[in-house]
Amino acid sequence: MASESITSDWVTPSTRPELIESLVSGVDRYNPSNVSILEDYLYHQIRSQEYDCLANLAILKLYQFNPDLYNPDVVINILVKALTSSPFPDFNLCISLLDDRPQTSHLDEPDPLPQLLPTLTTLHSLLHQCRFPAFWALYQSDELQPLRDNYTVEVVGFEDSVREVAVRAVQSAFTRITSTRVSSYLNLPEGSELEEYISKFGWTLDSASGVVSIPPNVNNKIESTVVQENIQLPQLAKIIGHTAVTV
Amino acid sequence: MARPGMPLWAADDEIDEDFQGVDLSMAIGNYGQNGLYDEVQSRIDEAALLAVQQQMQQQAAFAQIPDQVKRFIVHFHQAVLNNNLEEITVAYESGWNRLTEKFYSKTEWPEAEIIAPLVNDDPIFLILYRELYYRHVYSRLQPNIDDRFHSYENSCELFNYLLNSDEPVALELPEQWLWDIIDEFIYQFQSYCVWRSRVKSKSDEELILLQEASSQGVWSAYSVLNVLYSLIQKSKINEFIVSQQQGKSEEEIAEIVGEYGVRPLYRMLGYFSIIGLLRVHTMLGDFTLALKVMENVELNPKAQFTRVTACLVSTYYYVGFCYIMLRRYMDAVRGYLSILNFILRMRQYHTRSYQYDQINKTADRMYALFAVCNALAPSRIDDNILSTVKEKFGEQFTKMQRGEDGISAFEELFLYSCPKFISANPPPYDDPDALAVYVDDPPMEPAQRHLGLFLSDVRAQAPVPTLRSFLKLYTSLDATKLANFLDADEEEIVQQMMVMKQASRNVSRVGGEKGLLEGSIRPTSDLDFVIDENMLHMVESTVGRRYAGWFIRSTENAQRVLDTLKSSPLPGPGKSAAVQGASGATEAPRTGGPKVAWGGVKVA
Repeated sequence: MASESITSDWVTPSTRPELIESLVSGVDRYNPSNVSILEDYLYHQIRSQEYDCLANLAILKLYQFNPDLYNPDVVINILVKALTSSPFPDFNLCISLLDDRPQTSHLDEPDPLPQLLPTLTTLHSLLHQCRFPAFWALYQSDELQPLRDNYTVEVVGFEDSVREVAVRAVQSAFTRITSTRVSSYLNLPEGSELEEYISKFGWTLDSASGVVSIPPNVNNKIESTVVQENIQLPQLAKIIGHTAVTV
Repeated sequence: MARPGMPLWAADDEIDEDFQGVDLSMAIGNYGQNGLYDEVQSRIDEAALLAVQQQMQQQAAFAQIPDQVKRFIVHFHQAVLNNNLEEITVAYESGWNRLTEKFYSKTEWPEAEIIAPLVNDDPIFLILYRELYYRHVYSRLQPNIDDRFHSYENSCELFNYLLNSDEPVALELPEQWLWDIIDEFIYQFQSYCVWRSRVKSKSDEELILLQEASSQGVWSAYSVLNVLYSLIQKSKINEFIVSQQQGKSEEEIAEIVGEYGVRPLYRMLGYFSIIGLLRVHTMLGDFTLALKVMENVELNPKAQFTRVTACLVSTYYYVGFCYIMLRRYMDAVRGYLSILNFILRMRQYHTRSYQYDQINKTADRMYALFAVCNALAPSRIDDNILSTVKEKFGEQFTKMQRGEDGISAFEELFLYSCPKFISANPPPYDDPDALAVYVDDPPMEPAQRHLGLFLSDVRAQAPVPTLRSFLKLYTSLDATKLANFLDADEEEIVQQMMVMKQASRNVSRVGGEKGLLEGSIRPTSDLDFVIDENMLHMVESTVGRRYAGWFIRSTENAQRVLDTLKSSPLPGPGKSAAVQGASGATEAPRTGGPKVAWGGVKVA
């Protein structure tokens, strides 16, 4: 996964259809009647394990200007998806666009967001602070059952996406890591399941020592560098020119 | 009041040189004062009586206007009519401000209706005059609810005039004024949002008016955005910038941008509207969209649209802030460095301008944000800027290096330097019950909400400074040992190390990317590490000694001295003996006095 492609893919995912692209980049994004197109695209992302941050932010912006469009389920799904993008700032960007007191008079059922928002925020900070075992513990606890049953179960590959967050963090910091640690970060029991999962990333497990080796990448390969001064000819021009004249 | 035929020199003690040639009698014209009065005498009609009373009030107010001001207004109007850009600039930049200081530093300028006779009721000039009038009210005085509504109406009239005409208007205005129009429009919008959210202090009458206003979309976010987008679309400014970058010829560009886009008035308004959008989106908390609208703009102090310094400074400030909220601290630092250096160089040209204060205030906020970024992504930086930052914010600067303890310093600097965030929606003025709830239990202010998000980012990185200070001392260190030093659990330390690694990698632009949102992940710190099972290995990148600058300067110095010596006349024979003698005395080496030691550093 080259680092360059991460960012440009984040701005313009290769999976984004042209219609969405024209909405995100133009003024039609302000038209309230377009909200259903964007909402459908969100559900497409959920079902197909894709992710498009800017398109989801466009939905939140429409909610910002048109409070009667507010749909808490959509918001929760956007936040759940944004969790998997750590360490990118997506989750916080979504919160920035939320209204502190959304209008709920047009809703059929009571607004679930106020209860779930603190939980989602905690989950996000656990991920951001690389506290993966704590994340899995909280995620699987009883009190989070409503979140799991109503929302994350719909998001295809949610747990795998969170595992990828952990994988990214481990990959950049470690050359070798004990499989016990890896298993606690990825919430996969040690053994064949873990081995199968990590082989997808090119990691190898040495069963004798129980240590996983991570292939070198741009982040976990360190070398000390000395920044040398780069003297350019124009800087010396005045001195050299002076000597030329006086000679 | 100056009666027709009265000579100018009798009207006022101080003759304003610039406007001496203006003949007031010509300008006032026949406003039918005498005729109307006679007519009313013969009819006792209440409505007419009121009208006359109003007119008399206006005339009385008119009489109170100093002649200097009247002359200025007439002259200004003439300059606008003639599209005389130089004269307009002088009148706008110095004339208006001088007269404000002299006569209107604590009161409003005369209302547009009162001075209307001076300009033959020219509607366009009156709109422009009102723009200046309200700007003065907002900046020096407190606008009341009527002022706010009327200034909105006036802005709408102005933009309507510019956008909905059949062909481009023939007006020409200085760039500074065009920027100020957009800047002020957004400022008034933001001021209104803040004022509107303070429910408690509103009188009943105001509440009713507010309800009406929001149903009509007065100062709504949509209408403000609409104006800015329309100006951008009308002037085809994005197409203009792109075709310039592609190096197209003048004719091709003229065809692409159309009849509106070729006129400088529209082009500059279009460009300033892009910056306006950057600002409005940031105030509403949409940082990615703010950067996205700047897609085609080249951020470079030497680029084309930088003649208005206030605009350039504003641009860098908002772009840098968006980067901070996107956790791209290196990009923010780079931007702030270049603009702060630019301001230092430009300072000498701007001391006389009234924008000087404004630019300085923004510069101060940028110094604070620079300090914040530096704490979150330390790197080698410009000594010049660093010393100014330490001067202004030294206390917070040191506190922020201390991780968790420094959170309050982060909070202080953030609140000091953040933009004035607004919330897109008004309090529920149309629903009295909801309004009561709103007053008892007000929602969080937007600034607090963004502060909370920022502090969560800071907190995530809190362990990093302590870790870094330990890691600097070792090339390899066992994680258990480090945990013992820090009195913490080993697993916790390992997780914090991952955070540190994460924090040392920022998304950053390297040059050549299209648009401000692109970038790639780059290391920010000179200290890097890797974990091998339980062992940490550190490397540090260092900067080689920089000797070139010193040597170049010294060489140039020596050359200068040599040149001076060579070109100076030789001393005469008599004098030279005396000089010789004197230099001989001083040349003998010092035998007394303390010995000077030239040793190296003693190692203990």
